[in-house]
Amino acid sequence: MAKHVGYFPELKRNWWLKNRYFMAYMAREATVLPLVFFIVCLLAGLYSLLLGPGSWQGWLHFMQNPITIAINLLALGASLFHAATFFTLFPRVMPLRVGGRAIPAKWIILGQWFGVLLVMALFAWVFGRGM
Amino acid sequence: MEKRIKRSDEPIWWALFSAGGVCFAVFVPAAILFIALLIPLGLLPVETLDFERSRSLLFSFPGLIFIGAVICLPLFHAMHRIRHGLHDLKLGRDKTNKIIAYGAAMLFSVVALLGFVLGNM
Repeated sequence: MAKHVGYFPELKRNWWLKNRYFMAYMAREATVLPLVFFIVCLLAGLYSLLLGPGSWQGWLHFMQNPITIAINLLALGASLFHAATFFTLFPRVMPLRVGGRAIPAKWIILGQWFGVLLVMALFAWVFGRGM
Repeated sequence: MEKRIKRSDEPIWWALFSAGGVCFAVFVPAAILFIALLIPLGLLPVETLDFERSRSLLFSFPGLIFIGAVICLPLFHAMHRIRHGLHDLKLGRDKTNKIIAYGAAMLFSVVALLGFVLGNM
């Protein structure tokens, strides 16, 4: 086998700090960090529901901690940022056609945001029932 | 002699990543808004999540969908991004990172589903 003799520039660890598109890419990768925090909160909530009313009260109290709220606020922002990038990608990856005519990307993106609002309305309905 | 073709397992992780990505974009914002912000901040009455009510909401069929759409699939999405993020930052070896990342996603998914089963017993 031939030996590689070409020029191989070594990629430095901070390569993504050199260009704002790379930084946006890494920011989107980082959106999952507060998401993991929120999921761990939910898992803790699930098990405190199994342990009894005392633990559940403790969990509700933990969720009211200002630091918890701050990280979860960051998680909400991260999920919306992720959604924005994800929704713009969809019409590019899978352009939709109806009756031989392409649906404008703008409509597909709006449709997905409508989905987000619909899920929020569903949560409002589920939580609001019998209150 | 039969020759076995070695198939890549990557399509599985990418499929779970995209399924989790849809959930992260569509279901997770509402979940964070209501459970982690509006109720803890007192903008909705805290009784919205009282013990008995929360139990009957979570340990039901819609609760199972909630666990899948807000816990399990987003976990696979998150761990996939963490695995690739570690590679981008040149941290660790990808072979090890891959096992730890997807292993954690599987472990926590099983923990969530086990909790669901226990809640229904």
